[in-house]
Amino acid sequence: MWSPLFGTDITRWGLAALCPPGPLKSYYRIDTPTADTPYTRAEFLAVDIETTGLTRGDEIVSIGFVPVIGGRVRLAGAEHLLVRPNCPVGEAAAKVHGLLDDRLAAAGPLEAALARLLAALAGRIPIAHHAAVERAFLSRACRAVYGRPLVTPWADTLALAKRNATRGNAVLANGELRLSSCRRRRGLPRHRSHDALADALACAELFLAEAAACSGKAPAPLRDLL
Amino acid sequence: MTPEIAEVQDFLGGHHPFDLLPEEARAAAARTIEIAYVRKGATVLAPGAPLAHLHIVRTGAVESLAPDGRLLGRAAEGECFAAQDLLRGGVAGGRTAAIEDCLIYLLPAETFSTLRREHPAFGGAFAVFDGGGLAAAVEAAPEHKSFDLLSRSVGDLLTRGPVTVPRSASIREAAAAMQAERVSSALIVEGGELVGILTDRDLRGKVVAAGRSGDEPVSAVMSPQPMCVQAGDPSFAALLLMSRHGIHHLPVLDKGRLVGCLSSSVLAEAQTLSPLTITRAVHAAAAAAELPPLVRRVPRVAAQMAEAGATAHSVGQVVTAVTDAVTRALLRLAEAELGPPPTPYAWLAAGSQGRQEQTAVSDQDNCLLLDDRFDEAAHGGYFAALSRFVVDGLAACGYAYCPGEMMAATPLWRQPLSAWRTYFERWIREPEPRALMLSCIFFDLRCIGGKAALWEDLSRAVLEESRRNRIFLAHMAANAMHHAPPIGFFRGFVLVSDGAHDNTLDLKHSGAVPIVDMARVHALSAGIAAANTQERLLAAAEAGEISRQGAMDLKDALEFIGLTRLRHQARQIREGAPPDNFLDPKTLSGFERGNLKSAFQVVKEMQASMASAYQLSRF
Repeated sequence: MWSPLFGTDITRWGLAALCPPGPLKSYYRIDTPTADTPYTRAEFLAVDIETTGLTRGDEIVSIGFVPVIGGRVRLAGAEHLLVRPNCPVGEAAAKVHGLLDDRLAAAGPLEAALARLLAALAGRIPIAHHAAVERAFLSRACRAVYGRPLVTPWADTLALAKRNATRGNAVLANGELRLSSCRRRRGLPRHRSHDALADALACAELFLAEAAACSGKAPAPLRDLL
Repeated sequence: MTPEIAEVQDFLGGHHPFDLLPEEARAAAARTIEIAYVRKGATVLAPGAPLAHLHIVRTGAVESLAPDGRLLGRAAEGECFAAQDLLRGGVAGGRTAAIEDCLIYLLPAETFSTLRREHPAFGGAFAVFDGGGLAAAVEAAPEHKSFDLLSRSVGDLLTRGPVTVPRSASIREAAAAMQAERVSSALIVEGGELVGILTDRDLRGKVVAAGRSGDEPVSAVMSPQPMCVQAGDPSFAALLLMSRHGIHHLPVLDKGRLVGCLSSSVLAEAQTLSPLTITRAVHAAAAAAELPPLVRRVPRVAAQMAEAGATAHSVGQVVTAVTDAVTRALLRLAEAELGPPPTPYAWLAAGSQGRQEQTAVSDQDNCLLLDDRFDEAAHGGYFAALSRFVVDGLAACGYAYCPGEMMAATPLWRQPLSAWRTYFERWIREPEPRALMLSCIFFDLRCIGGKAALWEDLSRAVLEESRRNRIFLAHMAANAMHHAPPIGFFRGFVLVSDGAHDNTLDLKHSGAVPIVDMARVHALSAGIAAANTQERLLAAAEAGEISRQGAMDLKDALEFIGLTRLRHQARQIREGAPPDNFLDPKTLSGFERGNLKSAFQVVKEMQASMASAYQLSRF
């Protein structure tokens, strides 16, 4: 029932054909909604990852995600996945606040986490705050695991918040686009950013607030939110 | 692995009634929640919308309006809304809109119903909306304790910490410390350990009478290694210890730490605060002047009973019993002074004393019913003097003169039986506003002293008359609608029907009065002689006048409002303030707020059903 979005259809079709059978191929087989779909009728997945750092060599240590369906965050679909890094566990844990060595040592491999994420992402548009990071890390991870990148449109709450806030030519200072600052501006409660799931949830709520602000009488179409 | 959604779980844990759920249940519930964001001004629920969730405000605030524009309620952070609609048919009755940008948690109806079923304390908070009755909520209240003073623990009786003096101090220094702290004993310590006690008696016997110098060390005259009690020991154990060993002071330890010193005078005072001791002393009084100091203990007795977990109903009975005893003692003393009555009389208490619902020393409402052989010229002087004696005696005890003069001392309210019958007939047949006001007072009569048969004759005739007169009853019912309970609470304020916020909750007029008024109508309609509201409600249910559930709900609402009022007054008494009925809603716990809201809901619904039973829309 979905027709393709933003011309990524050709790419997706091609990638689906090129991918080896597995989670990424299955993901590409399911279409995403069209650009004129109201956001309240589309499905999203707010995603946050924790990494050992921001450089190419750094690794994902946890992935948190929660679906946003019909304009509501659905906690029933929330997941928090830990990923056992390739580098020594102690080294990784030291870099990530609050992650314990033994929990990380007991975590599954990246393949397992990616498979769950991709299953949850099917037919949904990912949301992240400053999506460039999630986009880069997850695409690189897919390439490493499945040999193909993760190509998908992302909704970025940072970009949305910036656009909404600077509409009256207001200038935002550094730091005012952090997740917590954006939430504060929307009157959302303070959240403790203690793990990837808490941040994904915080991002999902901010997305609803920004999407509501982009909407007039009718809910905003996807093209206004991506 | 099921993820822990700490944000949501912690938020629920911080708000009533979710705080009543065990941690695991809260965690499981959190995982089923959906979160919606609603901009200020947007509709959350339109009338007729199907409800599949319990709505909980996470941030912001919402307002619900009935289709006719009437304000139904407001909810802010941590509060549920449309719970009633969800439980009664699952369709939104009014329109709920965000009055601020809101984040709303939606708990699926299925999860909600499982939680209510599996966790009765949690379910109780919604029971009023669910046909479960208010009892479930009131019963979930913290456990009741015994209020028998002698079974209270020693620690409870301590009013201050210990006065300690080091072993190295002189006798004079120890005496100076006792003087400065106004205590009759000092505890002698060394290195934090209790080594002895010095009492007034030691100073008299071992120092002054023995001719010792005040410069000598206190250790020379103290009683070493004194007997001690534990803070958790019952106070009667302390009493036994004192009387067995002929001592008057007992150091009190709590887990090995010195926390105070119990004196026999504190124990004795605790004893005098027993209501039984008070009524016994009232009965034994030989002069009116002995009564006021006894009555002065009543507010503290009421406060203590309330704090110890007595029901509001039983506190009402006990406090009124003292007033009754005082009234009877004054009648006895008046007769002793004036001689035996020339014709029989009945002394009747009206208002809260009549209903046995006094919670503090309040205004007096009373009247005198005389035998029809009464002759004003021959007997008028006697009964005027008797009434004056009792009314003045009550006033001296703190039962203030009734501002409306509704007292036996007023000639109008000191009449023979035939005159009283005429009064009641007129009130019943011509229910104009003043007659209704008087009816509210004089239909709560109870005979306190004199010849009870006189009162029984009047009561029977009046009840027969009133139950037959539907128009009078309808006026009384309309009168019972005058005071409406508030809609609820909003951010620490009381929310009243016009949407205004009040800083105080009037527990009497917006709480107890409507229930008392409704019970009176039901009692009159069913010909029930009882004056007590709880008895009236139960008898009315027995007689089929109101539903059993309705009667129980009103009884429980009165009890809960009464308890809240008593606890509020107990706090005021403890703080040395005069007790009143005005509560600052900010001092209420989530539990109390929830239950009061339920109680108000019960009152509102029973008022509505009474209005329709008496077709009050035609008034």
